[in-house]
Amino acid sequence: MSEQFPSLFDVEEMELSFGPQHPATHGVLRVQLKLDGEKILDAKPIIGYLHRGTEKLFETMAFPQCIPHTDRMDYLAAATNNQGFCVAMERLLGITIPPRAAYIRMILAELQRLASHLVWLATHAIDIGAITPFFYTFRERDAILDLFEEYCGARLTLNTIKIGGVPFDLPDGWVDRCSALVEGFPAHIDEYEELLTNNRIWKKRTIGIGVVSPEDAIEWGLTGPPLRGSGVEWDIRKVFPYDRYDEVDFVVPTGVNGDTYDRYLVRMEEMRQSCRIIRQCLDRLPDGPHMARAPKVLRAREGMIYGSVEAPKGELGYFIVTTEKSTQPYRCHVRPPSFINLQVLPEMVRGHLVADLVAVIGTLDIVLGEIDR
Amino acid sequence: MSDPLIQYLAIPLAKIVVILGVLLFIVAYLTLAERKVLAYMQVRIGPNRVGPRGLFQPIADVFKLFAKEDLVPANAEKFVFMLAPLLIFVPSFLVWAVIPFGEAFTIGGLTIEPFMADINIAVLFVLGVSSIGVYGIILGGWSSNNKFSLMGGLRSAAQMVSYEVPLGFAVVSVLLMAGSLSLVSIVEAQRAAGVWFVVPGILGFAIYFVCGVAETNRNPFDLPEAESELVGGFHTEYSGMKFAFFFLAEYMNMLLVSSLAVVLFFGGWLRPFPNVAALSFLDVIPPFVWYLAKVMAFIFVYIWFRGTFPRYRFDQLMAVGWKWLLPLSLANVGLVALGVLLLGS
Amino acid sequence: MTMREFFGRLFPIDLFKGLRVTGGYFFRRKETVQYPEKRLEPTDRFRGMFGYDSERCIDCALCAKACPIDIIHLVDKVEVDPTTKKKKKTITRYDIDVKRCMFCGLCEEACPTEPRSIWMTSKTYEGAVYERNEGLYFTKDRLFTWEGVKPFPGVIAPRDGQLPHDPMGKKAPDETTETPQAGESEDAA
Repeated sequence: MSEQFPSLFDVEEMELSFGPQHPATHGVLRVQLKLDGEKILDAKPIIGYLHRGTEKLFETMAFPQCIPHTDRMDYLAAATNNQGFCVAMERLLGITIPPRAAYIRMILAELQRLASHLVWLATHAIDIGAITPFFYTFRERDAILDLFEEYCGARLTLNTIKIGGVPFDLPDGWVDRCSALVEGFPAHIDEYEELLTNNRIWKKRTIGIGVVSPEDAIEWGLTGPPLRGSGVEWDIRKVFPYDRYDEVDFVVPTGVNGDTYDRYLVRMEEMRQSCRIIRQCLDRLPDGPHMARAPKVLRAREGMIYGSVEAPKGELGYFIVTTEKSTQPYRCHVRPPSFINLQVLPEMVRGHLVADLVAVIGTLDIVLGEIDR
Repeated sequence: MSDPLIQYLAIPLAKIVVILGVLLFIVAYLTLAERKVLAYMQVRIGPNRVGPRGLFQPIADVFKLFAKEDLVPANAEKFVFMLAPLLIFVPSFLVWAVIPFGEAFTIGGLTIEPFMADINIAVLFVLGVSSIGVYGIILGGWSSNNKFSLMGGLRSAAQMVSYEVPLGFAVVSVLLMAGSLSLVSIVEAQRAAGVWFVVPGILGFAIYFVCGVAETNRNPFDLPEAESELVGGFHTEYSGMKFAFFFLAEYMNMLLVSSLAVVLFFGGWLRPFPNVAALSFLDVIPPFVWYLAKVMAFIFVYIWFRGTFPRYRFDQLMAVGWKWLLPLSLANVGLVALGVLLLGS
Repeated sequence: MTMREFFGRLFPIDLFKGLRVTGGYFFRRKETVQYPEKRLEPTDRFRGMFGYDSERCIDCALCAKACPIDIIHLVDKVEVDPTTKKKKKTITRYDIDVKRCMFCGLCEEACPTEPRSIWMTSKTYEGAVYERNEGLYFTKDRLFTWEGVKPFPGVIAPRDGQLPHDPMGKKAPDETTETPQAGESEDAA
């Protein structure tokens, strides 16, 4: 009986679980890798470690009670989560929000976009090895969270955008503090760019990694910076405006090559554009009520609606089905941007080395709370 | 007074105790210095609770490492597993026998030279002995019975070996200028030339320092031991005192690279422009303090690098070493040789 | 590669710029706040530990209905006064299971009394205990006395007269009634 000894040059596939507990996976993500030495042949993301049954919980809650639960899906960008739910419900119930409420909502959403992108930058940089931008970005983020705390009482799980508007008016001095923050912010972005954008090591680690062509991006249903990094100019705030985004001026940045470096540049530019939007909103803040006249106990009519907003991570959509005179949604399905964006991970990572996997996960900017709900 | 007992037994023993003691002390406090300096660059203060301003933190760390459970993996090669930390630790101590710290001085009639030995092939000794440390890494990675440790260990060994070549050539450029392999003579040659060797050999110094950072597995070349990467590195399976040995050996190597940089390029214990009489007021600072200050400046640069740069991917790291640094170092040797030929000394 | 590019690759000016940024930070003021010697004061609307005043509470149970996780347990009994034949509701149990609370503030928004009977704007967040089933289940008395809760320095316990938007007892009496109510617009104060 002859034994076949493997030759030195046979490709031997190694299966590796880039496990749920790993400092670089931004949550409890498990990626099942098939490796040839260090080259990745295939990657399969396995999710579900953070599933909490949010969509089922929605069916048992009254509409205002659903809003704290939406906070906890993408826990780094709670305001846009709340806003998505409220935009969908307002379309369903036919409520128009007063202009002051719309402007306050826009300010909160853009501040939240800044905060979320700061966390993205911090974690992406630390995965690639640059450990200091983390501390600088979190210092700015703390200032933003202080503004949130002053406005609604909570820093992270805000519960502050309600169906019909916003629950509180702005406290005294908030507008001045917010202006001061926004005036000083572009200087901080310049500082991060000085540390990273032209750094040759950073460029070597990010240019050409995780390339997605525009056609592939649209086919896979990517939204947000992964889509815009590939060159497709699609932003829900411009295409299906909500909350008076058609009254403010801003540019939607796009990339050219669809690689990690372009997505990095897109997000940095988005931060600058957010500052621009906030400044315009603060200048033009109209007077008036901050909440529409809506009954205390909301009863819905029969119907279904899909409403979406441009969350920092992509298009966050809510599909809500209601029955006649019900106080609770019959079904509420969430379209999380990170979930759809994660599906392109195997495509992006095939042929790259293991060290690039962390860069790609970082550039997709996923949050497991949103993926698993 | 050359009573043989004193000259050949008492003084060397005393020197050994002093040098080892001071080295261990510096290495322990280097861990604290790294944490505090890194923290200061990151808009925060480092450890400041243990002792005044955190000064007892290294003592707490040592106690912690002593008290940790010493885990040996199930199918590990036990003997080699225990040998590996020693193989990396002992050479990094051994090398300090030939590094000079200052000028000879006299106390009470005794002439004391502040180094263990001044052998005439000191540079060769340093390069040779420090290369033994690579064995420790390979064996440590292999004996852990963990394929990722093995991969990490091999990667680290490949990195260290391939960056030793340009490092050696950069040192050769200094040898051309100094004309001797003995470290004390190299410093004396800088005194004779009146200027530190970094001024004519700035390219050599740059190559040397970059290779030194790569040799010690520090950022931006620290992929083999980075936490956010897949492979934990050769020291994944080690805990307690064995891990402490790896850790200490890394800091000793950092100190060694800095010391060599100071001795070879920055004049050792000489003050800037040692022959210029106008600056002789600086002589009030003893030579050893000059030496220490320069070494600490290099350590600061090490930590500065760690706080600023992302890390290279392994294939890019090898590309930098072989495609850029090696040709540059060869070119540097050629240039320095030309310079020495034309300028005479 | 042109000569300019070659020397650009050789001399890493981009790396030096990065070094300049971090090196500059070495000498700047640090942002660390040395807790617990110094604490940052939470804002006025900060949602912290509960305060409850059973005197003002009208037993409408709107808070219990508003809570998404049903952690407010309200049990009352109706007594008929024999002389006047009037019905009187008294609260026997008003318990909050604080360990399950997600601090969303819906209970405080729902309370209709002026000033509120249940509020979270007490600037207090230090309520950690070693045993959570006893330590974090607050009965009516404990919500009033705040036993086991470490108030933020300067904050008075509900037993001593803490008011919803004035946990430190600083504001003048007419200012404290302006609690922002959700659902109504507030003119500029």
